[in-house]
Amino acid sequence: MTSPAPRPRVPRSCLALGLGLLAACSGEPDLILYCSLDQGFSEPLILRFEQETGLDVRTEFDIEANKNVGLAMRIREEAKSRPRCDVFWSNECAQTVALAEDGLLAAYDSPSAREIPETFRDPQRRWTGFAARARVYIVNTTLADPAEIKTMWDLFDPRWRGKVAMARPLAGMTNTHMTALYLTLGEAEGRRYVETAAKLAADGGLNLATGNAHVMRLVREGQAAFGWTDTDDYNVARLEGYPVAAVYPDRDGVGTLLIPNTVSIQKSAPRPEAARRFVDWVLRPEIEAELAQSRGAQIPVRASVPRPAHVVDATGFTAMKVDWHAVGQSVQKRTAEFQELFLK
Amino acid sequence: MSRPLVVAALVAFAVLGLAPVLVMVARVAPHDLAGVFGQRSMALLGRTALLGGGAAAVALVVGLPYGFLVARTDVPGARTWRALGVLPILLPPLVIAMSWAGMTSLRGGLATTAVLGLCTFPLVALYAARAFERIDARQEEAALLAGGLRGVLRVELPLVMPSALFAACFAFVLAINDFAVPDYVSSIGPKWNVYADEVFASWRSSQSTGPAVAAALPLVFLTALALWPALELRRRNHLASFSSDFRRPGTLRLGAWRWPALVLVLAVLCVAAITPLGRLVFEAGGGTRGFSLAHMQAAFARALELGRSNLQSSLLFAAGAALIAVPIGLVLGHALERSGRAGRWLAAVALVPIAVPAILFGIGGIAVWNRPQTGVVYDSGWMAVLLFAGRFLPFAVLAFSAAVAMLDPRIEESARLAGARPARRLLWIVTPALLPAVFGSALLVFVLSMRELDATILVPAANSSVLFRLYNAVHFGRDDFVAALALLVVFFVVAPGLLWTFFARRRLEVLP
Repeated sequence: MTSPAPRPRVPRSCLALGLGLLAACSGEPDLILYCSLDQGFSEPLILRFEQETGLDVRTEFDIEANKNVGLAMRIREEAKSRPRCDVFWSNECAQTVALAEDGLLAAYDSPSAREIPETFRDPQRRWTGFAARARVYIVNTTLADPAEIKTMWDLFDPRWRGKVAMARPLAGMTNTHMTALYLTLGEAEGRRYVETAAKLAADGGLNLATGNAHVMRLVREGQAAFGWTDTDDYNVARLEGYPVAAVYPDRDGVGTLLIPNTVSIQKSAPRPEAARRFVDWVLRPEIEAELAQSRGAQIPVRASVPRPAHVVDATGFTAMKVDWHAVGQSVQKRTAEFQELFLK
Repeated sequence: MSRPLVVAALVAFAVLGLAPVLVMVARVAPHDLAGVFGQRSMALLGRTALLGGGAAAVALVVGLPYGFLVARTDVPGARTWRALGVLPILLPPLVIAMSWAGMTSLRGGLATTAVLGLCTFPLVALYAARAFERIDARQEEAALLAGGLRGVLRVELPLVMPSALFAACFAFVLAINDFAVPDYVSSIGPKWNVYADEVFASWRSSQSTGPAVAAALPLVFLTALALWPALELRRRNHLASFSSDFRRPGTLRLGAWRWPALVLVLAVLCVAAITPLGRLVFEAGGGTRGFSLAHMQAAFARALELGRSNLQSSLLFAAGAALIAVPIGLVLGHALERSGRAGRWLAAVALVPIAVPAILFGIGGIAVWNRPQTGVVYDSGWMAVLLFAGRFLPFAVLAFSAAVAMLDPRIEESARLAGARPARRLLWIVTPALLPAVFGSALLVFVLSMRELDATILVPAANSSVLFRLYNAVHFGRDDFVAALALLVVFFVVAPGLLWTFFARRRLEVLP
């Protein structure tokens, strides 16, 4: 006689796993925020917003490797079937302008943005810029004298051949920077700058790093004498005591590019009221001041906002005049051109 | 096998693994293909093929002797080196590249090829080791008598080569789909671009998905081109199977060559795994700015404090994916092996999820799951679980298929004649016999899910994963924190397999 086989049972570990995953699916939040500003800076601020307002915010971050494009890509993809993002807090401008051009952003004129200069605001109020980063040269002071580096063209000076660096301009701030140069310098000069960079990169005269943080690492460790990076990356090297200096180039020329954070409300935001509350909150001068104090040393766009000594004000450099609307409109076309030039 | 069970498994595979790919491919319009096959992209593709071929050759040259030495010879500590030899394939290739680029002036195409070859050599070593173990003792004794160790190698190499080449095809696939290593290694000196760069750049530059998917197609074609011979080798049963009267071969004595062989094994391990891990330990302790144990302790405490919830999420996602992939893989792997001609097609279809770039698979996942009816799943941790399960199901299917091939069909036939129904046979006859494969394929899916980022990077659940926090921390130069967190991830990835290897009586069956 054979005993009946035991009935299969669901192991307890499977139940625990299922419950764990269900727990990960918490209830509906009061606000869904997509944020590409570094998690370390933005997370404490968002927590404070939750404490002050009692609203439950679900924040979804981008990672550096995506260069801010990941969240914009997701917003586009989700908009096709089920929009879920309310507010997009981007750490740059071009992708936000492109989303606005595609009709994905709603207009909102926040009362907190009154003092923000018009150059950092969309005329139709679909996005607002604040807390900027500047595109600067980070210089290793043991290898080069910062006083000798004055203009963007110094990157191509033969005496620095093989000792300079920039990120490949296919995404992120470098992409926005190079796109803006076409508009600021004019088509011919902008193209000359980018083509010279590509030509030098092909034969090793210019080192192409994986990103701006990598440029900072190459310079701080002495593998390059100087290179293009952002002020937040420069500030990290400065805080850690490396022999570095920042050069805000072209004081007597086109000036230094300032790229602001941008905040925008999605056109199909499921929670528009909470979205407006967040935008009003984050655009307050106090938040810009806190971002200036942070490790990222973001530059306030309002002259009245206090800042620490290492964060420049309007007297410390010449700001490049940029038509962000035009940058957003041309960024895709330029990126395709950069792809042809730099991916060979 | 029960037909409803196979149909259910096929439906699950279609939803998890195929739907994200098909949704994306359907978006390609004919005009999106214009320019995809231009001169520049073809030049990039040619260089990429060269990189893949080079990396596969390095993997073959390093992996074949390594597999032989640790599996068949009396090299001291062979069992330990065999287990540790898996490490390089578990470490992110970028970690290995960063370690070596930081310590040497190796740059450019040759350095990229060497790094990717070293990262993938364990594949060849594992397959070669298994093939060397499946050579019949009688055949080997005859070769040994006739020509000594050299004679053994002369006879056995042709028998082992198909397995090694099969693994080299996978090394080729992994190498051609990597863009981070070529980008990083050639950041000083002339830039050495590859086609995977073009794919990633197209995703970032195109605001519609059609052109981006179209840009990925040549790479998918190259991947398929490499997987086709691998499948053919498998189909023709060239991957070292053995008959019922098989006699396991004994350990080969190396004599005076024992110690030089140990040096060779250790050198490979040092270059491919121990040095990069050592570099991470050094960074966690403060690196070039002053190494101290107190600093390292603080870095680990901080990594645990900030990364604990992320580690928990990743472990949960990876374990969930493994639990889903195992039953589906078991049913499909069994069907693939026992269903003749249909199995051949199933093997080809099963590879689709891994033949496409991860980001394409991830965006396809959004298109499939972000709907009002499935919004709850999309917003939750389940989304990461389902994407991981879909992406890595092919490995589970192939691992089970390989294990089923070793299972005598007469056992199942006897159970059938005794009146056991198909589902019962699967649960109570096949599964217990394949226990090492059950654990092995679960481990494979678990490990791959733990170290995967690109496929889920765009879905909400990715936000809580440990790799997400790790890559974000890289940006702001928190090198000690990054190194400590990376070491914790490596520990959780490696620990289950090492525990099984050292303490279980039966060997883990993990090879697809």
